Amino acid sequence: MNIFPESVSTYGSGIDNLFWLILAFAGTAFVISLFLLLYPLFKNHHTRVKRASYITGSLGKFHFKLVAVAMLIMAMSDFIILFAEHSTWEAFTTLPKQKDVEYIVTGRQWNWIFTYPGRDGVFGTADDVVIDEPNSELHVPINKNAFFQLKAKDVVHSFFVVNTRLKQDCIPGRTITRWINFTKEGKYDISCAEICGIAHTKMRNFIVVESNEKYDHFIDSLYNQQAATAGNQQ
Amino acid sequence: MITGLFMALVGGFLAYVFRYNLAFPGESIPLFGQLSAGQYNQFITNHGLIMVFWVGMPLLVGAFGNFLIPIMIGADDMAFPKLNMLSYWFFLTSAIVLMISFFVPGGAFAGGWTMYPPLSVNGYTDPSPSFLSAIFYGSSLMIIAVALEFTAILMGGINYLVTTINKRAPGMTPFRIPLAVWYIDIATVIFMFSVGPLVAGAFMLLFDITLGSGFYDPARGGDPVLFQHLFWFFGHPEVYVLLLPTLGVLGEIIPVFSRKPLFGYKPLIVLSLISAVLSVVVWAHHQFIAGIDPRMATFFSVATILISIPFSGIFLSLMATLWGGKIKITVPMSWALGMIGLFLVGGFTGLFLGSNAFDIYAHDTYFIVAHFHYTLFPSVFFGFFAAFYYWFPKFTGKELNKALGYIHFWLTFIFFNGVFFVLFFNGLGGQHRRIYNYEMFSNVAIEPYITFEKIATISAICLILSQVIFLWNFIVSWAAGRKAEKNPWQANTLEWVADSPPPHGNFHTAPKVYRGAYEYSVPKASEDFLPQNLQAD
Repeated sequence: MNIFPESVSTYGSGIDNLFWLILAFAGTAFVISLFLLLYPLFKNHHTRVKRASYITGSLGKFHFKLVAVAMLIMAMSDFIILFAEHSTWEAFTTLPKQKDVEYIVTGRQWNWIFTYPGRDGVFGTADDVVIDEPNSELHVPINKNAFFQLKAKDVVHSFFVVNTRLKQDCIPGRTITRWINFTKEGKYDISCAEICGIAHTKMRNFIVVESNEKYDHFIDSLYNQQAATAGNQQ
Repeated sequence: MITGLFMALVGGFLAYVFRYNLAFPGESIPLFGQLSAGQYNQFITNHGLIMVFWVGMPLLVGAFGNFLIPIMIGADDMAFPKLNMLSYWFFLTSAIVLMISFFVPGGAFAGGWTMYPPLSVNGYTDPSPSFLSAIFYGSSLMIIAVALEFTAILMGGINYLVTTINKRAPGMTPFRIPLAVWYIDIATVIFMFSVGPLVAGAFMLLFDITLGSGFYDPARGGDPVLFQHLFWFFGHPEVYVLLLPTLGVLGEIIPVFSRKPLFGYKPLIVLSLISAVLSVVVWAHHQFIAGIDPRMATFFSVATILISIPFSGIFLSLMATLWGGKIKITVPMSWALGMIGLFLVGGFTGLFLGSNAFDIYAHDTYFIVAHFHYTLFPSVFFGFFAAFYYWFPKFTGKELNKALGYIHFWLTFIFFNGVFFVLFFNGLGGQHRRIYNYEMFSNVAIEPYITFEKIATISAICLILSQVIFLWNFIVSWAAGRKAEKNPWQANTLEWVADSPPPHGNFHTAPKVYRGAYEYSVPKASEDFLPQNLQAD
């Protein structure tokens, strides 16, 4: 059964696989526990047993050791899960060495603001392009390491792109950089996953992933347009 | 207790309104009318606050602590009866203050029960009606109500500890104290240890709102994440404060109906102390994606997953008590077993979230919502009902109707699963929390999630309606129930020595204690139970 939405990032499948791994451990443990809970209800029903056995389970006794061993098995499963999940966590939080494109994404009440660096590739210069509209789109090339500097203007927001599995809170006063490498073209939702006020529900923008040619074409026209408006203003 | 139950009805009504809205967006809600986005936020926020602070705390820690501790240790009353009364009046005041906040200009606080700044502060800088992110009056009143409620619980907690330490009957040595008393006291200690930072944090928040200070304002050198740390340093131990009393209650009920000693009495106490220590070093697992240092997140992930070990030990011991017993299924026993069964789901889904990598995706989705309802609902409501059905004969001297008790149990059990099991799938499908209307998000407003929302809502309505049976049973049995025996379950602990209901001063003659609380089916003894106060031959 397909319980996750489609994964379109390089690390997305890691999260999905981790889910199945933990489910295998937790599911097994759950079934065993249910057996431990339900079986005595039938076997030891008061109509079938004359007198209960006097088992205290105190420290060092045989029955206590049984429980201790079960706890040890639990601890070992815990460490297998921790070991397995650590690489996935690193994949999300460690930035790759090569940065192909970079954007600033700022949360505000109530939309995401996208900033392109302009032709010079540097933020904070005059040729930056800022798009600050509800439901606007951020264009990103496919198969490139796209870096996102995540910021928040007013309150805490959370940058959540369901199909990439990435979620990151945006905190006023901080810049947190995360990355995505998209593996499939398409238009994906960016939602805000942290309650941010009355129109939290309406905070929805999009990421458009396109081929390199299309992206270059888009970014060219975007920057040309920007230069034109800037020229007009002067 | 009655105040707590009333607040449960309020919280339940809020849940009904917003769940209805999620399943049938935009439609008028029976008994309420049209729900706006702002009201939706107010309702989810206050549902959380009420259920944790004004239902869970008073029912489990407040009501049962005050009733059970003195009578189970053989004392005539609490150490400080007047402090006790004061604690109740503070609690009532806090509940009233919170209710008033719904009727002030701008409405109640609406920034989520976690009250993260800057959202919870913004009302000060821009109180215009168009900016309803959080409102000056609503959030101030909410913080004052929370502070009053904590004061009440703190006064109660001091009383519990002093009573347990000083007022035990002769012979009631520390390791003869019933588990319920131990666990309520340990929960109280966890509460006292963790509540300080939150109260400080909440007052800094109040100052930010009313006096214009800048503790959480980055523009003035503050940091919003500081509040998250202070909040969760309390917030996470709080779930153990709600869980431990219930586990203590289970530690009374399961041995009685298995006619068998509690499995591993001393190890159970040690395990709960270990988990109490661990519980204060796991808080940041609520903030894996809040921008904390990834290495710190790894530490908290390890600690979080490790806390599953002592709790697995506690639950294994409770289940081991069943093995080899002579089990009688009764109404309180059903609630106790149901609590374990449901909590297993909540506990094991905790493994998914404790792993910080999976939490990146699952955080703030319905997966979390389903997970914590699977932990909190069993521990608050199943634990409360188990205790209620078990001690009702002692409380009132009357018997409850058994058939109604079973119907109440099964309906609650089935509909609870109906609400929250489907929400796991909605969460995995990417539905994020606290959304007024999913029709905005065409990517997640698809089948089967729409149907799941409807199943959850209909189950929630049925779940709330099922509680009518409980209220009916409660009132009718109390008024006109059959007279209960002194010790209907044939239990060992001291409360069953007292009359039902216990008179002022609890006991006619002060009881003496000769043995531990769990001497059931002792070999060679003529009866299968040996009350604690019975002198050895």
